[in-house]
Amino acid sequence: MRNVEQDEHIEQLWYMKEQNVAAMDFLKKAMEHAFDPKIIEGLVEIGWVDMAADGLTVRLTEAGEARARQLIRAHRLAERLIADVLGGGDLEAIACEFEHIVSPELVNGICTLLGHPKECPHGMPIPEGDCCKLAHKSALSLIIPLTDLKPGESARIAYINCRNDQQIHKLEGLCIRPGVIVKLHQDFPTYVIECEGASIALDKGVVANISVWKNPRGNDLAGADKVPGKEAHPGALKKFVDAFFSRKTG
Amino acid sequence: MAISPAESQQDQPHEASGSAGASSGASPRKVALVGLPNTGKTQVFNNLTGEYGLVANYPGTTIDIRRSLVTIKAQRYEIIDTPGLRSLYIHSEEEVAVRDMIFFEKPDIIVQCIDASQYKQSLLLTAELLELGIPMVLVLNAMDDMSRHGLGVDAAQLEKILAVPVAGSVALHGLGQEDLTAVIGKAKKGRRDVTYGVKIENSLRELALALPFDLEFKHKIATLLLQNDPFLEKFLENKFGTEKLAPARAVLNAVRHQVKGNLRQIISDRRNQWVDTVAAAVLKKQEGVRQGLSFHLTQASRQPLLGIPIFLFLMAVVYLAVVYVSGALDKFINFIAVTPVTRFITSFSLPAFWNDLLIGNHGILTLGLFNAICTVLPILSVFFFIFGCFEDSGYITNFTVLTKNVFEKIGIPGNAITSLVLGFGCKTMATLSTRSLTIRKEQYIAVFLIAFAIPCSAQLGISMAILARVGLSAFVIVFAALVVCEVGAGLFLNTIIKGKEASWFIQVIPPLRFPSLRAVSRKTYHRILDFLKEALPIFLLSAVGLFIFEKTGLLAMTKQAMTPMIVNWMGLPKDIIDVFLLALARREAAAGLILKMVDSGALTYVQSILAVVVTTISFPCVANVIAIGREMGWKTAVIMTALIFVSSFLLVGGLRWILVLFLGH
Repeated sequence: MRNVEQDEHIEQLWYMKEQNVAAMDFLKKAMEHAFDPKIIEGLVEIGWVDMAADGLTVRLTEAGEARARQLIRAHRLAERLIADVLGGGDLEAIACEFEHIVSPELVNGICTLLGHPKECPHGMPIPEGDCCKLAHKSALSLIIPLTDLKPGESARIAYINCRNDQQIHKLEGLCIRPGVIVKLHQDFPTYVIECEGASIALDKGVVANISVWKNPRGNDLAGADKVPGKEAHPGALKKFVDAFFSRKTG
Repeated sequence: MAISPAESQQDQPHEASGSAGASSGASPRKVALVGLPNTGKTQVFNNLTGEYGLVANYPGTTIDIRRSLVTIKAQRYEIIDTPGLRSLYIHSEEEVAVRDMIFFEKPDIIVQCIDASQYKQSLLLTAELLELGIPMVLVLNAMDDMSRHGLGVDAAQLEKILAVPVAGSVALHGLGQEDLTAVIGKAKKGRRDVTYGVKIENSLRELALALPFDLEFKHKIATLLLQNDPFLEKFLENKFGTEKLAPARAVLNAVRHQVKGNLRQIISDRRNQWVDTVAAAVLKKQEGVRQGLSFHLTQASRQPLLGIPIFLFLMAVVYLAVVYVSGALDKFINFIAVTPVTRFITSFSLPAFWNDLLIGNHGILTLGLFNAICTVLPILSVFFFIFGCFEDSGYITNFTVLTKNVFEKIGIPGNAITSLVLGFGCKTMATLSTRSLTIRKEQYIAVFLIAFAIPCSAQLGISMAILARVGLSAFVIVFAALVVCEVGAGLFLNTIIKGKEASWFIQVIPPLRFPSLRAVSRKTYHRILDFLKEALPIFLLSAVGLFIFEKTGLLAMTKQAMTPMIVNWMGLPKDIIDVFLLALARREAAAGLILKMVDSGALTYVQSILAVVVTTISFPCVANVIAIGREMGWKTAVIMTALIFVSSFLLVGGLRWILVLFLGH
């Protein structure tokens, strides 16, 4: 049973966990009017939430975390979807509705489509799903790792799929970041890419973290006049919409 | 051997030769030369000061901060050359030194060198430097590269947007120096219109207020703290102590809760937007510029199909040049100097003692002066010249790309390959260059391998000459033996040393350039000068030392004592002890002596091979050991040196038995 109010409380507790906070006061303040002590009691009964005897600290149990993980995953993937594919918009409002109505399979589908992103547009971590662990790919994937390109092809970077701040920063210093077009010069014996005029040699592990837009017309942006990005994906988008919404209802 | 960084006067700047007399009397204004790696900072330094800091076409050439005083237009300046810096958010130890210098010393002017092939990347650093509020000047270097790639920069527009003076240059050819000197006095603070949004700017102000009062660059430090810079907290702790930092910490935690999302990302997004805007306004790109020969050559050199033949070809060139050109030089110098002088001295019919002292077997002239100038110097010069061409061409990084996978299988991390290659130039410098390796295990392995079986330029050049005398097959055997030793050591260390973390390999490939003969000649000249300054006195002293050792009978005693190991185990003649003793002081001297022994027939085929191998592996030179001490600590230096001595003597003995087995000598 999907209970939206319960979900809201659980999500908030997950945010608190990310910030290492467990105070009941914090929860109340963060949720403002939406806070309902009866919901917390209900959650404690189901066994999703632990509350201290004095009522001052509250945190999720393992079961509660599992539920929260699903919600946060759906929420943040939705944000990615809206920001990257659907051209942006009011991320919060849409994502907030989204997470309550999608099934885990649909969420995994979106995750695969987007190339298993690790961070939402705000930079917060997206919890992994089964599809991520197996790095599923799909013919419908809009975003693919750079390792899928062949030498000579170029593509625009969607995001750097890596949770290591230092690595991201080092790549950014070389202008390897979302929105930039990179060209793959060679993949053997070592990967070499060209970015903003400089040739850069990279480990395969690092290259795999660079997620790029798959160009429906083939990956040669040097000659393309329309570049894949937020706007130009009508074909793929329609395919996605058809495929997944038909699965949901069917 | 090459320009020794230890001599780079870290603490006291000294007067550059040729500075004009007029002194303003006030203390000199500090000018920090800053910029991405491999952008020409040291070349600009050389041009401004008339001094010589090592210049080469690979990132990481400059390892230490170097200073010099110079007078420009009656104003005194202290010019400070630095290792490359990508960002004030720090990645490695080398970069920390630069940031610490800026924060501690507060330079009066910052000159940022911008290189054509990394233009936008440089602007990212410019954005950060502008935030410091220090007057700046930009130098657009390597403008010839830019036009070759069909790029142009509107310097006037750039100057307008940033409100700092911009000078163009091709520092390698000495062009643009007048522009820079004209403009350096007009450095201005620059326009900083990168903003991070109201929320973050407010937080930055709050954080800046909470930082200790006497801290400089509060805004910048606040920004870096928000980005979770790992080195910065250590820096602040060292300077102020935990108590004084408490209020700042509190604000920092509060800010992290308040601002939703990843602070680092928001800040860098804003900066990137600024860079894009500036670049769009200023960068002119010509369409339809075809990829030239250098591009295709670069591509070819780092893929096995053509890369391996190219590498072998280059090795052959080195070998032939060293052997034949230096052989010719040697004969020439012998003819002009050695023979006449020897004849001259003999004509005096001096008493035996003096005769021996001067031109005897261990004579000052024979073993000291002639050894250095006639035997060693020609070979060294040729080798320096060729190695200099390698360095300046940009080939080294391409070589790394070609061979990385192979090296990693034998335990040598990809990031360490450049340091190993530099070891063929000078092992001391190569050891210091391992500073760029962030993982301790990788640095340990690199440092050991450099000290172990890599022949430095002197060793390599002379070994080539020695082995050429004996036969090409000898060269091949020695080469194979050294490779086996290195591979074995690499695999061994990799298994023994704990540590699973691996660094990621991300390296910018410098543009392949045809080496400038002027620059390489200048570099060779300075390397030769350094050699004469450092090594010649030691050559002479060690010759005297050996002479005394011999005359007092100690030499004979030592030879007797070491016979079991030297003669029985390694199969070398007793006189090889002379070589070993010299090697302790200066390995070129030892190598020069081996050459003479080969020429006089004192060493057989197998013995020549063993002599070369043992002097290459066993005797880390003093400067190298000191460098290890500096980088890794003295305990490690002692352990490594001991390990090297022991294992090398064992290995050489083993090699001897293998050769005897197969060749039956």
